[in-house]
Amino acid sequence: MDLTLLWTIQLAPLLAFLSIQLLPKSFKKIAPAIGVLGSLLAALAALKLFSLHLHQENLPQAFVYEWLKVAEPTAINPYQLVVGFLIDPLNLLMITLVTTISFFVQLFSVYYMNEDPSRPRYFGFLSFFSFSMTGLVLSSNLLQTFLFWELVGLTSYLLIGFWYSKPSAATAARKAFVINRLGDLGFYLGVILLFLYFGTLNFLDLKSEALQQTFSNPMLTLIGILVFMGVMGKSAQFPFHNWLPDAMEGPTPVSALIHSATMVAAGVFLLSRAFGLFSASKTTLLVILIIGSLTAFVGAALATIQRDIKKILAYSTISQLGLMVMGIGAGSSIAGMFHLSTHAYFKSLLFLTAGAFIHRYHTNDIWEIGQKGGKKDLLAVTFLVVGLFSLCGLPPFAGFFSKDMILETIKERSLFFYGVAILVSFLTVYYSFRMLFVILRSKIKHEEHGHHESGLLKICRALPLIGLAAISLYVGALGTPFTGHKILHWLGGQVSPLNVELLITTLVLIAAGAAIAFIQFRDPEKALARLEGADNPLKTTLERKFFIDDAYVFVVKKIGLGLAWVFNWFDRTVINTFMVNGTSYNILRLGRLVSKVQNGLLQDYMSLAIGAGVLIVFYILHYAKPGF
Amino acid sequence: MTPVLFSQSLQSYLLLSTAMFSIGVFGLLARRNLVAILISLELILNSASINFLAFNKFCMPDKVTGQVFVVFIIALAAAEVCIGLSLVLLLYRKKDSINIEEAKELKG
Repeated sequence: MDLTLLWTIQLAPLLAFLSIQLLPKSFKKIAPAIGVLGSLLAALAALKLFSLHLHQENLPQAFVYEWLKVAEPTAINPYQLVVGFLIDPLNLLMITLVTTISFFVQLFSVYYMNEDPSRPRYFGFLSFFSFSMTGLVLSSNLLQTFLFWELVGLTSYLLIGFWYSKPSAATAARKAFVINRLGDLGFYLGVILLFLYFGTLNFLDLKSEALQQTFSNPMLTLIGILVFMGVMGKSAQFPFHNWLPDAMEGPTPVSALIHSATMVAAGVFLLSRAFGLFSASKTTLLVILIIGSLTAFVGAALATIQRDIKKILAYSTISQLGLMVMGIGAGSSIAGMFHLSTHAYFKSLLFLTAGAFIHRYHTNDIWEIGQKGGKKDLLAVTFLVVGLFSLCGLPPFAGFFSKDMILETIKERSLFFYGVAILVSFLTVYYSFRMLFVILRSKIKHEEHGHHESGLLKICRALPLIGLAAISLYVGALGTPFTGHKILHWLGGQVSPLNVELLITTLVLIAAGAAIAFIQFRDPEKALARLEGADNPLKTTLERKFFIDDAYVFVVKKIGLGLAWVFNWFDRTVINTFMVNGTSYNILRLGRLVSKVQNGLLQDYMSLAIGAGVLIVFYILHYAKPGF
Repeated sequence: MTPVLFSQSLQSYLLLSTAMFSIGVFGLLARRNLVAILISLELILNSASINFLAFNKFCMPDKVTGQVFVVFIIALAAAEVCIGLSLVLLLYRKKDSINIEEAKELKG
């Protein structure tokens, strides 16, 4: 039964992808239906699987097939590569999350993409993404994870560049792909090292104690950091974070599914999945904590000046991912996973809301959305408020409980990082309310009414928003002290009572952030004029994104092009001139030299022939072995 | 044992043929006259024939293999001279000379 369900979850999206690709042209119209059906099937199977194991019977459970036996197994090293499924509480939570969000996003895409001529391609890629992502989540070992990890990277590339005729989209897709490769290089090296010395990549065997017995501490740190590089690429951690804002060139539902809820969260998921590997070395955890806090701060700071609604959300995603990574770096993978699950729901909700605005008002700019009458779209505004309150961590919305848990963990670890986290939370509140006030308080100038939408499209627009908001509230509620910390029990965590001190801190933060945002943006137009007039180092720094893109350009230009110059010189001088042309030139000269012998004089030829004959005879008589 | 005549030993035949071969090779390489070169060629062929006959006589007197070969060589030489002379004739018609240094159009 389990296995059937697992195969259903894994193969339903793949089947949807294949059938969409193979549809004859005249039937391409039903591609959205196939995509939605495939994801619905996977979501139902995942829910069923979840309910089967609601009380964690027979967990963890692995279904594996031997793939390769690489070397003779020793007592400690099996040296065996397997493929297969693993189910345990972590996987079950993640797979339910991935499949449900994927279903809602597919449904919303029916609304969002209904005018796009290349819809079949879109739904095909989206289904293929679901397939890769479920494979990534369900995989039982690091190598299989790595393969699907690359597949989600590929689909991400394809979907960012979905409107490939737009140069900015094509560039963004390339940027995402290249930066992810940088991270994945480290990941792959880490996997190789681990397999070489540890002999197994199964998640169930990656226990801290076993690893510490096999490896020396520096080696463990090295492997941990190498694998963490993959996480940095995929989860957009500093300094690899700069692909994520550009990835917003893709269609908005794609941003909701891939670039906020699931794929970028895969890095955090991997951190929890192979937590034994990372927690085996204190240094690795410290590096993770530092990178996480840098990311959280940079993301939140940059979100405060963006005007594009999707870019605000993208930077906010970066910052929240940083927060999750911080939680894990502080030693609690459960806090990170809990925040991942609530964040996935409310952030995809926010993105879909943004998509609803963008599709109706044809602009990404929050000022323009406000001026075109964004606040009249009651449905979208309601869910925007729900999502933003969740993001700020306002009780009793989902974000509150998960964020507080992370804050609590970090506080126990170190007060400095706690300060960073508090600062990030404050900035989060500030940019959330800034966005809210700009949309709500703008004077409507040139109102735009949406086109007339058919009933089906209205359902496709509203249902995912309602569903995601409901689930988001529900998941948050599952983690509260009032419901007995269901999620934390589920993940095997320690339960702590409601921390009143933290609750007060959070409320004060929210009040302060909201107040400052209100003072600055109560009249959005004046605020805009004032901001555009302002000119100070802080603004420049933020607008240049902390000069990180400039740093990349500098590295590529100076070092990359310098290296390229050296290689170019080597290629042209050594290889081309000396080796290729030199060979041909010398052979030509040799040929000219030898051709002098052919002077046309018969008797010279004969002299040569006879001389050679004499030499041969001489050689045979004097040097050849007897019996020749 | 009766004293062996000089002319009756194998070495004397081989010496003779070596001398003829050397003269032939010298003529082949040193003469400029094409007809003289052809004649030198004949000398070489004939030195080979002498070798055949000598070995036939001294090594296996009851067989005629060497003699048969020599007959073949004579026939071959006749054919060769025939072709060679006609080539020389054509060259003479073309160049008004049978000097071999005149004929070097085929040089590389």
